Amino acid sequence: MTPTEIAVIIFLGGGLFFTLVAAVGVIRLPDIYSRAHTASQADTLGAGLTLVAVALTLGLEISTLKTVLLLVFIFITNPTAAHAVARAAHEQDIEPWREDR
Amino acid sequence: MPEEPPDQAVDEAILVPVGESVTLRNTVAYAVREALAASGEIHFVAPLASSAIGDVSADGKAELEELLERATVWAEEDAGDEAADLRIETAVVGADEYLFGPDDYARVLTDYARSHGVERVVVDPEYSPGGNVPLLRPLQVALVEAGLTVEEAPVDRPTRRGQLLRRGGLLQFATLFGVSFLFYQLLSGFTLSGFDLVTGVVSATVVAALLHRIAFSDRMRLGVIAKRLVRLAIFVPYLVYEIVVSNLLVAYVVLHPKMPIEPRTVEVRSAVWGGMPVTTLANSITLTPGTLTVRVRGQDFMVHSLIPAAREGLFDGSLERAVRFVFYGRDAAGISTPRERDDCRILDTVTENGGEED
Repeated sequence: MTPTEIAVIIFLGGGLFFTLVAAVGVIRLPDIYSRAHTASQADTLGAGLTLVAVALTLGLEISTLKTVLLLVFIFITNPTAAHAVARAAHEQDIEPWREDR
Repeated sequence: MPEEPPDQAVDEAILVPVGESVTLRNTVAYAVREALAASGEIHFVAPLASSAIGDVSADGKAELEELLERATVWAEEDAGDEAADLRIETAVVGADEYLFGPDDYARVLTDYARSHGVERVVVDPEYSPGGNVPLLRPLQVALVEAGLTVEEAPVDRPTRRGQLLRRGGLLQFATLFGVSFLFYQLLSGFTLSGFDLVTGVVSATVVAALLHRIAFSDRMRLGVIAKRLVRLAIFVPYLVYEIVVSNLLVAYVVLHPKMPIEPRTVEVRSAVWGGMPVTTLANSITLTPGTLTVRVRGQDFMVHSLIPAAREGLFDGSLERAVRFVFYGRDAAGISTPRERDDCRILDTVTENGGEED
């Protein structure tokens, strides 16, 4: 295996790991607010590391720039969506879950 | 001319908040007429939004002083033969504080009015120290609540809109066209074939024509934008670092068999204001796992935090400093943390209407 391939596998593994964590989090966490937290995990490091792996595989070409752009869009749209969900929940007066109640 | 009894003069003095505005000239003229009809005492006061404009604050002060000087010259010109009856005082206020919103402006203006015994305020209807943030109406309300008499100078104002927009609009159109065109070529893989160039020009024109009015809400200053882009390039790696760290923290609690989460909703009054800075901060907070922006009102952020470590990070204000660095410059980044400013608290319920501590 070339060093590039090893790096690709590491980044891909990392991306998969955080996407898995996000999935586990969505199932395990108790309420809508805390679940929205892990959604940003899947999108930031999950997609981020995977896209880094994609960029490494492609090497230096125009498609690599597009993967970077993809990441930029994810970084803008993900918090916007998470915020929209949380705000909608807040407008419905949904109280966040607390461990002491 | 014999001196007037001081307390009468004090009662009738006029305060004019001064800022860059197209109707400032006419406002000064009106205020001078009013002042000459009364005691002849007029105060030109310019609140300085020091931290809000950050890296231009040194220039900002000089600019305001120049503006005050100009107002003084105008006033003397308007008074003509009666110039001797006119007593003009000028001051830049708020230079050593953070002026965020209308309340802060009202506070420094009221403080000045109190210490100089002024009770009457003439405001310029186009006065807008907050840039693109609408400020005048709430400012007037706050001044009235403070017990001052507030009136708007009756000046004409519609004439400039078209002209100013058209001039600024060209630059905005050109910028947006350039960015869209480059983006189109990037997506087409920089083949630079005739077809791609022509369709690129067409679509970039459509985008720019439709959106140039709303894409940039601020007055465009290319120097400022270039500086911000450079600082943004420094900010992004830092944001990624913060994201990685908090991802690991959140991954730990999510995978932990006992899942030791302690969700709390917190409220932080941030030291950024204006559309873009607030949006950037809110999005950065949400991007960082463990903190989620639920609601933003002005500079008040309601944030849901999953674990204590995430809350602590928020109260330490590292992201806030980073965003201030991007938009207001390096000097503005050295601000005290929300914790030190006492600008943060943990809410008991999200439906409580603020005010009481828990």
